[in-house]
Amino acid sequence: MELVTRRRLVGAALLSGGALGAAALGLQLLREKAPPVAGLRVLSAAQHRTMALVALTHIPPGGPFGWSAADVDVAGLFDQFLADQPASDQRDAGVALDLVDLGPLMFERRWTTFTALTPDQRLAHWQAWSVAPQATRREIWQSLARFTGMAVYDQPGAWPHIGYRGPSLARRTGPEQGP
Amino acid sequence: MTITDCSQSSGQPDDMRCEVAIVGSGCGGATVARVLAEAGRDVLLIEEGGDFVGPQRLTQRDLSMYDQLYADRGARTTADRTISVLSGRVLGGGGVINACDVVPVHEAIWRYWHTIHGLQQWSPQAMAPFVARALQDLSATAITQDQVNRNNQILRQGAQAMGYTGELMHHNRQGCVGLGTCLIGCPLGAKRNPRMVAIPKAITAGARVLVRAKVVQISAADRPDKTLLVRALDPKGYHETSTFRVQAKRIVLAAGPVGTTTILAASGLGNDRLGRGLSLQPQVAVVAQMPDIVNAFDGIPQSFALTQFERNDEKTGLGGYRIESIFGTPGILGSLVVQPGIEGKAAMAALPYVAACLVLVPDEPVGQIGQTWSGRPRIDYTLSEEWKTRARAAVKTAMRCFLAAGARQVMVASAPPLVVHSEKELAQVDGLSFAPASIGLISAHQQGGTPISARPDAGVCDPDGQLWGTPGVYVCDGGLFPTSSSTHTMAPILTLGHFLGAKWAATWGKT
Ligand SMILES: Cc1cc2nc3c(=O)[nH]c(=O)nc-3n(C[C@H](O)[C@H](O)[C@H](O)COP(=O)(O)OP(=O)(O)OC[C@H]3O[C@@H](n4cnc5c(N)ncnc54)[C@H](O)[C@@H]3O)c2cc1C
Ligand code: SF4
Repeated sequence: MELVTRRRLVGAALLSGGALGAAALGLQLLREKAPPVAGLRVLSAAQHRTMALVALTHIPPGGPFGWSAADVDVAGLFDQFLADQPASDQRDAGVALDLVDLGPLMFERRWTTFTALTPDQRLAHWQAWSVAPQATRREIWQSLARFTGMAVYDQPGAWPHIGYRGPSLARRTGPEQGP
Repeated sequence: MTITDCSQSSGQPDDMRCEVAIVGSGCGGATVARVLAEAGRDVLLIEEGGDFVGPQRLTQRDLSMYDQLYADRGARTTADRTISVLSGRVLGGGGVINACDVVPVHEAIWRYWHTIHGLQQWSPQAMAPFVARALQDLSATAITQDQVNRNNQILRQGAQAMGYTGELMHHNRQGCVGLGTCLIGCPLGAKRNPRMVAIPKAITAGARVLVRAKVVQISAADRPDKTLLVRALDPKGYHETSTFRVQAKRIVLAAGPVGTTTILAASGLGNDRLGRGLSLQPQVAVVAQMPDIVNAFDGIPQSFALTQFERNDEKTGLGGYRIESIFGTPGILGSLVVQPGIEGKAAMAALPYVAACLVLVPDEPVGQIGQTWSGRPRIDYTLSEEWKTRARAAVKTAMRCFLAAGARQVMVASAPPLVVHSEKELAQVDGLSFAPASIGLISAHQQGGTPISARPDAGVCDPDGQLWGTPGVYVCDGGLFPTSSSTHTMAPILTLGHFLGAKWAATWGKT
């Protein structure tokens, strides 16, 4: 998966202007240190935290059913997925997650990061990425949203809430012959 | 059955020799392997995917199956991320994960290629025996009334209410019990696909088959003995573990439009048309909220097609549009939700009441396959204004059908979602911009990239499927079509496989 092209990422970074870029760099140094996560193969702890919060924003607890991204280690699965992808994809994914975290500063000129927002602010900010004027932001949104949706709803815990009765062969033949 | 798995230490091959090396085991490669092996040729079929048969391997779970059965782990898209470019990466290729719809090339399209594109051998009469062989391989039969699930019934009812014509499709299932997971493989083996038909026949006739073996380059293409550089892969197909070489008198590339173009580009072969003329046939999903339970998860996903607006024209080729019901499994459906937060969860909670369809809108071959700076495939594709206009008309037709069948609301999963409740709101569809990465489109029928042409300046392969200017290197996959062949490509590609396989078997000198 070539998450976003390098050219577009550079373009997006430039979009916000040199001064903001420098501010972003400063903020990156300032932002609260993410607690270490054992066993990460590609993502940094900060990127892992961003991905976990993206997933939680995309599929939060509450609403019509309790099952949510909090029940699945989406960020861990993303790290695992990336570990078997080419190095260029790994780098792009990391840059994309950093861009999401710095999104409030770079695209809304707010002196804060995505991970520091409240859940409601995060939802509003994340939603804005899906319709952002910059194609790169929409591309990143598509990639991360798709991965999250696949990871959360592929789990048996989600199925009773969405009317899916589970892999049909297992239902027909009994669990011993099923997957 | 002898299939050598190159990811196993016992399967790690030394350098090999054969008369014909065929790269890719989909509808094109498997068919040619079988025809040539049955004609007594020494065939080696090389496939980068794994061999997935039966419930232990085909688990009906999205995450692992998209990862293992699809090219680029299911994540291949156009460079602007607007179109998911889906194709198989498994022994048997796309036939293993497709929806089993059998729609051969219409006679008008053969005539179009014959007269407008100057392909003398592609007349309906000359092709008829090969179409028949393809349909025989597929055991093609009409889907019966009792196999039509509620999701398909709804589209059909809506179409009837609107006075639109449609049909129950032909398919290649035998012994299907309606598990509904066709798009991530049939654990019962009910699909009469290349894995179940052509490959066993090829092996019986003496062909050797390698899986988890990725061809990266052709060298010495100008010599009588050509060399393929092949990488053995690990059991999941993620990483290359070792390298070996295959020497062959003739090479047939059947790795699909993207795979074949990539190998040729890496080998410095093909003319300046290579990678061009790509048709993706982008599809748009339309989703309806019905008042009663639909339970679209169960049963054959696609059985009814609204065909009224399809155009097979001998002067202009394939046009118009076609509408077919569709559904998927929870993971893939969850990945398509465009509303973040509680709203998205509400959409998922409503799935039992959802009916869905795809509008299939054939395109002009305007795309291009190239390479990224790291040598991986890059697919550039810009939707034409004419395509967008037709797609909007198709979306409106699908929405009208659902509304006529009683839908409370109908939607296109664009960002923001386009939601319509009544005929008078349909005008909103005109605002569907199709801007890059604002909507998830799907391509399941890639064609072109190495098109056949009557002249070297108009395509990449000659009418015999041989690369212009490179004797002994051939192509046999969807990449050969000069324009869109049909709204479904399995039967058309099998037809090409029979046609070219028979021709090659008859004309290649014995070695
Ligand atoms: C989700 C989906 C649903 C579809 N539904 C239908 C349908 O209902 N009806 C219909 O008619 N068509 C359908 N199609 C389309 C149809 O299945 C394909 O067009 C057809 O199978 C393509 O055949 P092919 O031989 O051109 O290539 P493929 O089937 O793509 O085969 C190419 C093979 O080459 C292998 N390969 C690639 N690169 C290399 C390499 N470097 N080395 C070794 N091996 C390599 C790949 O792993 C793959 O197995 C569908 C396709 C998809 C993806
Ligand atoms: S509907 Fe089920 S049984 Fe039938 S082919 Fe598809 S997966 Fe197999």
